[in-house]
Amino acid sequence: MQSLIEARGLSKDFGNLWAARDVSFQVEAGEIVGMLGPNGAGKTTTLRMLSGLLTPTEGEAFVDGHSMQHAQLEARKGLGFLTGDMDLYRRLKPIELLTYFGRLYGVSESTLKTRVDKLVEAFSIDEFSSRFCEKLSTGQKQRVSIARTLVHDPKVVILDEPTTGLDIMASEFILQFIRRMAKEESKAVIFSTHHLDEVERLCDKVLVIHAGRLVYAGTPGDLNAQTGKNTLADSFFQLVNA
Amino acid sequence: MRSHIIGTIFRKEIREVLRDKRMIFLIILMPFFLYPVMFTLIGFVGKNQEEKLSTEKVTVLLNPEAETTPIYNLLKINPTLDVKLESFEQTALDTMKSTIGVLVGEGFQSSLDSNSSATVTLLYDASKDLLETRVDAIKKSIEQLNQDLLITRLSNKQLSQSFIKPIDLKEQNIAPQNRVVGKIMGRFLPMLLLIFIFTGCIYIAIDITAGEKERRTLQTLFTAPIKVREIIAGKFLATYAVGLVSATMNVLSLLFAMTIQVKLMSDGKSDMAFTLPITPEGWAWMILIVILATAFMAAISLAVVLLANSYKEAQSYVSPLMMMIIIPAMMSQMPGMELTSSTAMIPILNISLAIGAIFQGIFNVGHIMMVVLFALLYAGVALYIASLTFGNENVITGEKVKFNALFSKK
Repeated sequence: MQSLIEARGLSKDFGNLWAARDVSFQVEAGEIVGMLGPNGAGKTTTLRMLSGLLTPTEGEAFVDGHSMQHAQLEARKGLGFLTGDMDLYRRLKPIELLTYFGRLYGVSESTLKTRVDKLVEAFSIDEFSSRFCEKLSTGQKQRVSIARTLVHDPKVVILDEPTTGLDIMASEFILQFIRRMAKEESKAVIFSTHHLDEVERLCDKVLVIHAGRLVYAGTPGDLNAQTGKNTLADSFFQLVNA
Repeated sequence: MRSHIIGTIFRKEIREVLRDKRMIFLIILMPFFLYPVMFTLIGFVGKNQEEKLSTEKVTVLLNPEAETTPIYNLLKINPTLDVKLESFEQTALDTMKSTIGVLVGEGFQSSLDSNSSATVTLLYDASKDLLETRVDAIKKSIEQLNQDLLITRLSNKQLSQSFIKPIDLKEQNIAPQNRVVGKIMGRFLPMLLLIFIFTGCIYIAIDITAGEKERRTLQTLFTAPIKVREIIAGKFLATYAVGLVSATMNVLSLLFAMTIQVKLMSDGKSDMAFTLPITPEGWAWMILIVILATAFMAAISLAVVLLANSYKEAQSYVSPLMMMIIIPAMMSQMPGMELTSSTAMIPILNISLAIGAIFQGIFNVGHIMMVVLFALLYAGVALYIASLTFGNENVITGEKVKFNALFSKK
């Protein structure tokens, strides 16, 4: 089976710092992969290279078989990307925003209407669809952001800390949605977070990045077995403190 | 480049602008009200000031020896002067409000009788407009007296007036009134027009570039399957459209306010009609130049403010950019400065000179075409720099974009 995401020796040099060094992994359809690492470990840099926002100094990223460096437009069509650094257009309403991005992703007008309606229903956006995005609560904004990430029905979804700043109910809603989406629609999901419990509950595999290097790639169970610990949290601390 | 993508970005930017009350106020409402209010205010204050200058009384202190001279009678008949015969010191005048001192020299009448010159000294504070106006009136009266005395003296000697004026120099302005209006308009309107266009362009340019960086919406756009050039084109068109609307609103409002003001001032006199010497061909060139000037301003605004990381930082670039526009526009008003094949190549100055020439109704089509070509060239260069800036990784990640890094190979 062809991997939907493939990182091949990704490295990024910012002049005085290698933020990522020789990071390689693959994610298959239907898999949810948690990316873990302390602040400054290189998670966001790696995700930005995967999405084409940053050009790798070395290595190459592939999305649905398309090189992000050599066939960027094709690769981006199959990718939905969301990081905590992204906000919504203040003076657009949620449905206008979804339609705007749908058009930018080349979704046909007839498909777009159906797609937007589906997302509006899935994320209960109807409750606040008449308000401008600047007037939405943090949880409502995050729901719209994730809907925006999915408006073109991408095969690959990368979510960088999607539950940060959300209350427990909003977080749970988003986690359940990610699980359903990956399993029912066979999407490949990379999910970066600082909440180890979320990874434990949600993810099939774990990638641990530390000091720019990928120090572990495998299932949470294998990681616990490898470190001899009972919880993912203990295994993670042992790995990054080693 | 795909036109539907550019159109989508353009429509979204315009939709956001139209929902921004501050932008609507700046682009449409402010010019709509600013000039009529400004001109009415200036007219009102000017009229009040003029009335004050023509009616307010000024005290004239005249030395008592002058009572028997024609100077005393001359000053007394002026209703705006309150003439007092009393001795005074020059230093005392400094402390008195609205007072002019007139000193008639000793032996005034005997000097006149003996065909010599008599002396009259006017003492006043030249920094006060009111005193200057009254002194001018006094000088005019004394000059008239001088003339009368001269005619008497010539007549006593049986000489005609032409004896002291061998050449009678006459001058006549043959320029039609609309050309004079065109010259005045051609002096200040190009600068105003360029400022209007710039103001219209710069604030939306800041909002859709540095503002988006600050609001963290730019990254989202860069993850979509669109080219940097398409993003630039969409944003450029939005900036351009707003700049053009802003300039049009400003010019229409200004012309409307001026027409109303001229009508009010003319008080029904037909010779004060407000007309310009611009031919249909001139209007066509003018519109083309304004369109291209707006394209240039939109492109340069985008290219510069893209270097900023925040709204505040971008705003700090506005004043230097404004100077880059005002200084060449002011240079175009310097004596002897005109549109030539050399000045047609200098950005901003060329546009200002071309608009000025069209307003005066005197322009060389070859030079105007050069201005058009160079305005296009500069707009293209500015857009190229903007696309280099936009293509820079640091714009995407919100880091500072270094100008010299734009031209270095990655």
